[in-house]
Amino acid sequence: MFTQRLDFKTTDLDTFPFPFTSGNYRYSNDLKRLSNINCIEVTPEYRLQVEAKRRLLQEQPHIRFQSFPHTLEMQWEVFEMLIDMAIDRYPQHFEVLKDGDNWTFRNHIFGESDSFVFGDASTLPNEPLDYIGRHFHNDFVLMVHRDSNFYLEVGQVSYAALFSANWNKGMSFDEIHAPVPFVSRKGDELAERVRKFLLSIEPGKPWTRINWNLMADRWDVNYETMDVWEPKRSEITPESAGKLVRLRVEEQKFYRLPRSNAILFVLNTQFLPLEDLALRQEWFDLTYSVLQDIPEPMAKYKGIAPFLPQSVEYLRRIDEERKSELRK
Amino acid sequence: MYNSPVLFDKSVTIVNQFTVRNGRRKFVIIADQSGYEKAEIFTSEAAGTVPVEFLAIRGVEDGERIKRFLLSQTMGTQFYISAAWGNAVMVFKLGVEAGLSEDEIQVVIIGPKRRYVYCMKCFEVTGVAEKAESTECGHCKASLEIGPFYSIVREGYIGYPFIPAGKEEVVGS
Repeated sequence: MFTQRLDFKTTDLDTFPFPFTSGNYRYSNDLKRLSNINCIEVTPEYRLQVEAKRRLLQEQPHIRFQSFPHTLEMQWEVFEMLIDMAIDRYPQHFEVLKDGDNWTFRNHIFGESDSFVFGDASTLPNEPLDYIGRHFHNDFVLMVHRDSNFYLEVGQVSYAALFSANWNKGMSFDEIHAPVPFVSRKGDELAERVRKFLLSIEPGKPWTRINWNLMADRWDVNYETMDVWEPKRSEITPESAGKLVRLRVEEQKFYRLPRSNAILFVLNTQFLPLEDLALRQEWFDLTYSVLQDIPEPMAKYKGIAPFLPQSVEYLRRIDEERKSELRK
Repeated sequence: MYNSPVLFDKSVTIVNQFTVRNGRRKFVIIADQSGYEKAEIFTSEAAGTVPVEFLAIRGVEDGERIKRFLLSQTMGTQFYISAAWGNAVMVFKLGVEAGLSEDEIQVVIIGPKRRYVYCMKCFEVTGVAEKAESTECGHCKASLEIGPFYSIVREGYIGYPFIPAGKEEVVGS
């Protein structure tokens, strides 16, 4: 059984998508054009993350991957796109040999080689997106565009933050965001604005935004294991928060697929323990300021209310220590 | 269809009283014995507007006959279902299978509505009372808090697993 022990953190801080730009945070439609449109990243934690992801998919297949049978064609579209990106960016790590529809994909990091017929899912061990997704650390969600809305029709989710591919399958963007007390800085409904924005995304012009959360000694929190992690959140103390509470950052990238017209969400999730924030004083100061200022409804929505005060107290103590050092 | 509408206790099609839909060419009223009175009242209200046809539901084994009847209707027909929960669900499903949208159906439920909770532990649904806030999964016995969100794919409200006070146990991770 997957232990959920969070056995990795981002070690290359230059690649950590730090989320805060000011000392107070409110939801906002902070979508930006993606400068590097290639979403494949091999970080120092690649092997750890991918192995953990594969373990989750193996142990909880129905929770971690869901699809409708009619999505195979669009899954192949994503499959091809991800392979192209991988070999374009990391030719030393990934390779594809094509003989018509007979393809061989190689992952040199894991020493793996798989041959299959492109377009024939029966020649793969898993559905196309489930297969290719197991070579990258990201989560992948395919939202199909219909009636001015998006519907979740394929999801491979191994870093859930109050999300479940199994539960959310088939839901519209609006339904998925229904519980959100989503009022932006301007006081309007954020989910509605984001949905409208996603409608305007064009092929070849992906967009990105950053979401954040805190995770209390867990890899992820999904609805299926709520009975396990929910009571444990309040066990965090100011003494343990530095190691056990992690700033969880989810870099979301949105791609319009040219053939199916669906939107692919690619999610890059990274973790930084609170104690590592001190490695960059600016990050520490911004995080400390933001966490002190979180409104209660937002803390509840993010699921961090039971351990937010302890986390802030930890940061306050570190801040005090640093200031008294400076005074000496 | 995987995303077809389903009838649940908060469906937009469920109303307290039927209303005349303007712009329709025909009304079809389908009722079981318990819904006959409501159907009769509406039939009187609708008289003189557009042609009205009535179909009686004799029981859940009546599906094939109702299906044929629904398939024989033409576009522009508005459907009114007045029945107890089980019969209403059956006719609603047949209507959706016949290609009707929620906009073309009004439902008056006679008696209690049924609610179903989707267990996030074993992925089965359990029937619960209308006002219940929590329940025990009828399949895996997990304690479930009934959330406000409904899935038409899972055909139930989300059931968040929790450990009842005083019954701490290791459930897994």
